[in-house]
Amino acid sequence: MHVKGIEGFPYYMGIRSLADIATPDDRVVVLNAMGGESREVTPTSHAFSGGNVVYGVSPGRRGQVLATPAGNIPIFNNVREGLNAGHSFNTGVVYLPPSGVRDGVAELVRVNPDLKKIVIITEKIAIHDAREIRAMAQANGIDVIGGNCLGVADSWNRVRIGGALGGDHPEESLLKGSVAIFSNSGGFTTTIAQYLATAGWGTTTLISSGKDVYIHYAARDFAYGLANDDRSAAAVLYCEPGGYYEYGVEFDKPVVACIVGRWKSRLTRAVGHAGAMAGSGDRAEDKESWFQEAFGVAGSFSDDPTQFSAKGAVVTNIADIPAALTAVMDLNGKTPDFAPRGNLELKPWIANDQGLTLPPDIALPPVEATPPYNAQIAALKTQIGATVARQTMKDRSGASIMDAKTQVTRVHGHSVLDLAVTPLEAVYALPLVHEIAGPNDRAMLDIAVASEVNLVGDPALTAAEAAREAGNSPNTVMAAAAAIIGPKRVDRALDCTRVLIDLFAHSGLRDAADTGFDSSGISLSAEQAPLFLATEAEADDPRPEAMLEAVRARGGQSVFLDFLDRTPGRKSRDAILAAIALTFAWAPLMRKKITRLTAESLPWYLRLYGVMIGASIPARHHQHGALWGIPREERFSKWTMADLCFLAITGRKPVGDEALPVQILIGLLISNGPGSITAQGAKGAVAADGPQTPSRVQINKAMIGFLTHSGYSHGGNGYEGIAFLLDHFAASGLKNPADPGHGLDLKSMARQFARDYKAEKAAAKELGSAVRALPGVHHPVFKDKPVNHDPRERFIAEFMAERGHYNVFHEFYQEVVQALYAEGVSRYVFCVNVDAVIAALLLALLWDDYRDGKLTNRDLENAAFTVFLYGRMIGAAAEIDDHINRGRNMDTRTPAANCGYVV
Amino acid sequence: MNITGMLQGSKLLQYVGFPTTEVLGPSASEQEIQDLIARHGLVFIKPVFKGGVGKKGKAGLIGKARDLKTALAEKERLYFAEHRHGNAVAKANGVTFEAGVPAEHEIYFAITDDTRYRAPTMTLTHRGGVDIEELDKTEIATVPFDSLTGLKAFVVANALSDIGAPKEIISPLVQELPKLWELMHHYGMTTIELNPIRMRPGKGGRLTPVACDFKCGFDRDDPRVARLGLPAHLFTSDVSDFEQEVNQLRTHQGQSDVFVINDKGTILAPTFGGGANSLVTEVLGDAAIISSDFGGNPPYEKMKSVASICYRHFLKQSNVLFIIGGKSNNTDIHETFRGMGDALRQHFSDHGPTPLYVVVGRGGPNLVRGMGNLADTCDALGLPYRFFGFDSAISEVVNYAKKVDLWMRDGGRAEIARSLGIKETV
Repeated sequence: MHVKGIEGFPYYMGIRSLADIATPDDRVVVLNAMGGESREVTPTSHAFSGGNVVYGVSPGRRGQVLATPAGNIPIFNNVREGLNAGHSFNTGVVYLPPSGVRDGVAELVRVNPDLKKIVIITEKIAIHDAREIRAMAQANGIDVIGGNCLGVADSWNRVRIGGALGGDHPEESLLKGSVAIFSNSGGFTTTIAQYLATAGWGTTTLISSGKDVYIHYAARDFAYGLANDDRSAAAVLYCEPGGYYEYGVEFDKPVVACIVGRWKSRLTRAVGHAGAMAGSGDRAEDKESWFQEAFGVAGSFSDDPTQFSAKGAVVTNIADIPAALTAVMDLNGKTPDFAPRGNLELKPWIANDQGLTLPPDIALPPVEATPPYNAQIAALKTQIGATVARQTMKDRSGASIMDAKTQVTRVHGHSVLDLAVTPLEAVYALPLVHEIAGPNDRAMLDIAVASEVNLVGDPALTAAEAAREAGNSPNTVMAAAAAIIGPKRVDRALDCTRVLIDLFAHSGLRDAADTGFDSSGISLSAEQAPLFLATEAEADDPRPEAMLEAVRARGGQSVFLDFLDRTPGRKSRDAILAAIALTFAWAPLMRKKITRLTAESLPWYLRLYGVMIGASIPARHHQHGALWGIPREERFSKWTMADLCFLAITGRKPVGDEALPVQILIGLLISNGPGSITAQGAKGAVAADGPQTPSRVQINKAMIGFLTHSGYSHGGNGYEGIAFLLDHFAASGLKNPADPGHGLDLKSMARQFARDYKAEKAAAKELGSAVRALPGVHHPVFKDKPVNHDPRERFIAEFMAERGHYNVFHEFYQEVVQALYAEGVSRYVFCVNVDAVIAALLLALLWDDYRDGKLTNRDLENAAFTVFLYGRMIGAAAEIDDHINRGRNMDTRTPAANCGYVV
Repeated sequence: MNITGMLQGSKLLQYVGFPTTEVLGPSASEQEIQDLIARHGLVFIKPVFKGGVGKKGKAGLIGKARDLKTALAEKERLYFAEHRHGNAVAKANGVTFEAGVPAEHEIYFAITDDTRYRAPTMTLTHRGGVDIEELDKTEIATVPFDSLTGLKAFVVANALSDIGAPKEIISPLVQELPKLWELMHHYGMTTIELNPIRMRPGKGGRLTPVACDFKCGFDRDDPRVARLGLPAHLFTSDVSDFEQEVNQLRTHQGQSDVFVINDKGTILAPTFGGGANSLVTEVLGDAAIISSDFGGNPPYEKMKSVASICYRHFLKQSNVLFIIGGKSNNTDIHETFRGMGDALRQHFSDHGPTPLYVVVGRGGPNLVRGMGNLADTCDALGLPYRFFGFDSAISEVVNYAKKVDLWMRDGGRAEIARSLGIKETV
């Protein structure tokens, strides 16, 4: 049942012309005006349309207003209240939730006799309700648009009703022209208008029809309105599969029909909205053929650009709409409405290859965006480095995590196992640049740290030596030295770094090793220049020149060093340290891999690395120009971090790949994740200084936090494995632990130990006393299989085997676990754990000196502890930097409610 | 959400008192089957499929038995029968035993919302029991009716007169068929089809229409469906764990159905807008893992939850995370990108990094803020990316994503894995 509308329609239709759909005379009431979506959209619509919303409805909110740039929209509890208040309207817009839409339509229809149109924005309306809405509207002579649509707009009238066509800047897309748009897709209604503009076509009326089963204003209705709209010379239809709305519709003006959705008929099962999905005979392919027949073409313009006629063209890609329309209109003797605006070529606005070399067709260079977006992107680019949200970082880390299953820790995404076989200088750089440094950057780090290790004449050495003489453990000795490297000892280096970042941040420099980069336009100001110069007190310091010479000797490249070289005056060690540090921080900083704060702090970490390693070498070996007899030039120009650590532990220069075990040991010890005691110490120290004011965080104090949280049980216990091995090998006459022909019967030794241990265990049981633990054997995670392995031990064993490296102590451990099982001590074959590998590698390294009596058991213990500290200082640096960047003040506290009191 | 077959159909028809044939389910005992045969002389054995599966008869998937032995043999043949119809494949799990109804007349009846009339429309013929497409149009009545007044007896009577139906079937059908509108309209159905309804003679030769097969579709957006208390498993025929999980977050604000296109695909494309989804899915072809429309201005938390689910199920196999849509009208790009970016960060934290290239094509409110936020996330995770604005053709951006996917397959994935310090490859 329907009232009589326009003649010739078998149903009610009241809209005669597209020009009548959204007019300046339409007065609008919005139902659920204060709902989330309406609150965002209605103010823009109202302002764009010159204030066409007379009031909004929102039950219980009478008296409130919806503020808009064109003035406040009053809110009433219901439609009747607004009418009683003297308002009148002809158009209702429905933003109600789906369950309320039908009742909202009923309210509009029954309460307002002047009602002519309803635009329903709501999606997911039940078909049941859509049926009844259609019937109500037909019975009462109301035109409905939608549901599940974005409303209608008119570019000539500058009116939009209902939804958000044109987004928050409708004037950008709703350009006056000669083409009407009817689209099943709300999003594409605007996108098509924007695409048309690239070929110079503007729009008249834009209709987002929705694509529910009930499309209340459908293609046939649109065709009629198009015919009667003098402004519209052509139309674009965007249709999806499902329904017969477009079947047999006759257009008397040129039309480009875009039909997308062939993929739906290839699906192997029914999906999606039952009604909206294609049934029989209404697939995308069917719709294409309907239009092709109407236009007298044999195919789609997208597949074959010759397929168009004066009546129209069919496309299957919206990007082809402008070209198709231009071609069709050309046959009709019509030219575009205005000069083309922009184009649809690929234009990456923002890109980052993260240092990868991509093929040219993928590595498309960024293109400047159109205004106003270009200015916004430029503003983004002034942000140097990554930005990281602050959060509570107690027991959490953005730097490291241990996999509870494998017990393998990853630091900035890199497994410690991989780090163990990575050059040590790259590993030391990892916490600072969050990636594995390349050869140039590694050379820079070698020089930077080498220049800080020799502490002759430095109070840090005095403090360290005093601590050592007082009988302190290696961590305490290091802490004493680190305490001296406070903020004032690094202020100048950090300031130099900041100035260099400011100068080069927007210069276009991406790679600091790019010596072809033209920095001639960059210079230090009169205020900045003195910061980089050596003072009179530093006149005798030979290190600046030595560092620069070392860079040359290693073939190092640095835009920053070259830049400083061009500026007059003798540079300080701090200035050169800053330039070196920034050289390897630059690329990750530009790629936003690290924060500016991290890059600025880098010299402090490098100095601490050098001082802490230096402090582990007794004071008497620090001499002017030489460390433990190794001349400065040699160390600066040739030595790696592994060589340096080897020297500090053994007191001698490594020969061949002798330093490899040191590298492996340090790599394995870097981190056990944020839960480890050392990490907790470092994080607690940062939290206590207040990372939300990062300038107040003392990085040296944070390092001391890690050092005070290591000790004889955590770090120093590496010696226990060595002591176990010494029990069996001290008197064995072993000469070379790396020689497989050592002549010892390891099986017998292990079997004897197992028997003794079994007896010891039985006796302890008898006495009710605890059985001593076996260091290096068994693990609480890797257990319960017939034969167990610690994956970390296996990784190192395989790596060493591949390189033909043999270690008698490691083999002995493997015999021990077999013997324990064979003798019935263990129910299954225990694993040899990673601590055993560490003990085996370290003891082999020091075996000659120990056998010759140059090293005591205490020295071995110190060495084991020191190696742990060398590794863990890397992990600590990672946690410190992470916590400074991410953490909140005092965020490592435990709430009182979670604490217990024990008597 | 479709149901076919009399196992469930007979229960639904009972809500409105429409007569049905006697039906036994898969768990029927031999004695029960024997008794059914004894009572009716003939039983039909039909496989039980979940969802909407038609054309079973043509596929030879309807068995007939007049004795227990044959019935059991047919049960064995059909219990796990596979049915191919077009591209769709369905697998049975169980059979029904349906009593044969002796009749001279077979009726086809359906109600659906016909887009040609934009009204509920009855399709009726007294030449049922065959595919409706095989009949001449003059033998079929297709009658739209007013949904506010409903399917009235006179509509049925007029239609039967129009197609020249035998007079003896008119009165019983006029009495019974309007009940089916009650079932359809008040229980959230989008369509209902009974074929055949067999006209069983009763006392005095009066005919009674008896439903012998049943199909219906439900509207998942209609809360009336819940009145039936149907178990959820009826609709889980092909729903993957992912679809089950992600579609729980479907509300009226944003996100239409999300479904898996190719569970072996390599481009994970959260898409915004129905049109964009259609275009993107079309152009991506087999590379697409899911089809989605997350538009409708989803709030941050919802976007993050949805993205988390997508990542958990598919990020590991993905070469490209492809966030794509047109120039949004009201979806806040900053909120949605922040949600997806934070979920990505969280995923990397929880599950470790995975080699990925991020491609974005988007426009809308707060676009640059959103892109900036997502870029920061990609930078922090070490992922390469290219973000395109709305002034690049969406289809070209889709082609670019495909190109990246090919490069990833051809060594790019391993290269990114190396740069992320992981050995994982799929």
